[in-house]
Amino acid sequence: MVYQPPVGARDLLPLDVAQKRWIENRLQQVFHRWGYHRIITSTLERLDTLMAGGAIQRSTVLQLQENEEELGLRPELTASIARTVVTRMAGATHPLRLYYNANVFRRAQESSHNRQQEFYQAGVELLGSSGLLADAEILLLVVDCLQSLGLNQWSLMLGEAGLTRSLLSPFPETLQPKIRHAIANLDRVTLETLPLSPELRDRALLLLDLRGHPTDVLQKVAQLELSDSQRLSLDNLKSLIDLLQSASTPSLPHPSTPLPLILDLSLIQTLDYYTGIVFEVVSEHPAGLQVLGQGGRYDQLLGLYDPQGQTYPGIGFALQIEHLQQVLVPTGQLPQQTPAIGWLVVPENAQAYPHALSYAQHLRAAADLVRVELDLGDRTPAEIYDYARHRRIGSIVWISAQGEAKVETINPV
Amino acid sequence: MITVALPKGALLKDTIRLFQTIGLDFSAFLDSSNRQLQITDPTGTAKALLVRAQDVPVYVEYGQAQLGIVGYDVLREKASQVAHLVDLGFGKCRMSVAVKESSPYRSALELPLYGRVASKFVHCAREYFDALDLPVEIVPLYGSVELGPITGMSEAIVDLVSTGRTLQENGLVEIEVLFESTARLIAHPLSYRLNSDGLNQWIERVRSQALERV
Repeated sequence: MVYQPPVGARDLLPLDVAQKRWIENRLQQVFHRWGYHRIITSTLERLDTLMAGGAIQRSTVLQLQENEEELGLRPELTASIARTVVTRMAGATHPLRLYYNANVFRRAQESSHNRQQEFYQAGVELLGSSGLLADAEILLLVVDCLQSLGLNQWSLMLGEAGLTRSLLSPFPETLQPKIRHAIANLDRVTLETLPLSPELRDRALLLLDLRGHPTDVLQKVAQLELSDSQRLSLDNLKSLIDLLQSASTPSLPHPSTPLPLILDLSLIQTLDYYTGIVFEVVSEHPAGLQVLGQGGRYDQLLGLYDPQGQTYPGIGFALQIEHLQQVLVPTGQLPQQTPAIGWLVVPENAQAYPHALSYAQHLRAAADLVRVELDLGDRTPAEIYDYARHRRIGSIVWISAQGEAKVETINPV
Repeated sequence: MITVALPKGALLKDTIRLFQTIGLDFSAFLDSSNRQLQITDPTGTAKALLVRAQDVPVYVEYGQAQLGIVGYDVLREKASQVAHLVDLGFGKCRMSVAVKESSPYRSALELPLYGRVASKFVHCAREYFDALDLPVEIVPLYGSVELGPITGMSEAIVDLVSTGRTLQENGLVEIEVLFESTARLIAHPLSYRLNSDGLNQWIERVRSQALERV
C-alpha cells in the first residue's frame, strides 16, 4: 500500500528548504537589525483563544478534540502572541518587539480541491506603543524586508480601519454589516441596490472607491463632513504618509523613487480586530498580482486576553513565505541547488576506518563551514568517482590502512 | 494590456456588442470558423479569453483576466472572490423552482420532506432550501434538468428560466423565483484596487455604456 499525505499537505525537500531558509535568513537579519526578538509559541491553541479577536471563524481552524478541550492548529500568530504577552510577559517593560517564523494552518475552503492547508509566515508584533513613530516603524520595517529580498516591483496599500469604520457610522445600523461587507468585497452592484437615500448611496459609493494617490484621497476625505475625532485620524494619517515619504527614500534603490504607496480607505475586512492603519503588500509580477503580506494596528485585542481586561496597543504584520518564494523564483536569486559537499572521505579498507573517521572530523573542525561526507563502503573506485561527479563533491580523500591521505580534486570550486 | 474573460453561450453576442461600443472589437469570436480561445482586439489594446460562463469568475478571481462578463446566476453559484461592478441589464432571466404541471405542489414549502430537487445550480438550490429550513436532497445534473420531474427522479428542479418556453414544452410550471439575474461586469479585486494597466478607465466606459442603454 502507498501511504499518501493528507489532502492539502506538502513536504519540503532539501532544495525547497534551502530556498525557504534563504528567504527566512534575510528576513530574520532585518528583524534583528530593528531590535526584534524571536518568540516561539505553541502550534496548538485552545479554540477560544484563536477566535477571541473575532476575525477567525471556527470553519477556518483545523480542529482537534482533547478530552474536554476544543483545540485547533493556529491559523495565525497574533492571537497566540497576545495570549502569551498578557500572561507570561505581563511584567515586561514596553514596548515589546517580537518576531516569529512559524507554520500556520488554515482549513481549505469547501470549493477548493487540494488547496494547501499548511503555510509558513514570518512576521513581527510591536506591542505597547501607539502613535506615529510606531506605525512608521512597522511600515518601514516591511519595506526593509522587501528590499533585503531584492524585490522592487511591489505596492504598499494602506488603509485606516478605524477611520473607515467611523465613516460608516451615518448609515442605518441594520444596513451597516451589509455595507461593510459590500465595501470590503468591492461589491458596487449591491451598494447601488440597497435601500438608501441618494446622499447615503453617494457616500457608500465614494467609500468604495476611496483609493489612489495619497494626496488625492486625503483631499477627498477632507471634503466630507467630519467629526473632531475623524479629523484627528485624518491628520494622523497625513502625518504618517508625509513621514514615510521623507524617510523611505534613502533606502530605496534610486533615491528619487517615491515609496509605491496607495491609500485605500476601502481596505477593510468584513470581520477583523484592526483599529488603526491596515496594509497589504502586493507584488506586481509578470505572472500576476500576489499579496506578499499584510498587517495592521490592533489597540483593543490584548485587552481581550488580559485577565484584568487591561489593554495595550499593538501593531504587526505577517509575510507569506510561499508567496515570497513564488515571486523570487523567476528572479534567479534563490539557491538553484542544495549546497555542494566539499569533501568525500573514502577508507580504502577496514583497517583504514579509524583513520578515515578522524581525518573527516579534522576537516569538519575548520573555522568556516566545511561539508564532509564519509564513504560507507561497498563501492568500486569507478562508482565513487561517478558518485562524486554527480553529487558535486569538491575533493575525494583516499585513506589507506596506514592512515595516509591522498587528495584528489573532482569538482574545482 | 488588460485581459477580459467572455462567456460562451447566451451572453456572448451582447457582450461583444458592449465591448465594440467602447472601442474593443472581439467579434472574431462570433465567426463560426473561429477556433481560437484567446484573441487580441485589432487595435492591440486588450486581450479576450473565450471560456465557459462558469469559468469566467475563475479566471477573474485568479487574475488571469482583470475583467469578465458573466450572469449573476453564475456568481451566486460560484461565490467567487471578485468585484461586482456593473449590472449590465442584458441577459435577463430568473432562477426558479419548477415542478410537473400535474403535481400537487404550488409552492416550495409544499414539497415533501426529503424530496428530491434536480439542479445544475447545486449551491443556489442548497442555500434556498436551507433558508426555508426544508430538508431536501439536491440531485446534481449537468443539463436537461427538466428530465428530472418528467422521469420521476425528482419532485422539482431549480433552474434558470428566461422565456419559460422550455418549461412549458416539457409540461413543467414555475412555482417560485429564487432571484432575478442579469449580466454583470466583474473585476479582479487586486487589479481593481491597484488600477493596473488603467483598468478603471475601461470600467468607467463600460459603466457609462450600460447606463445609456437602460
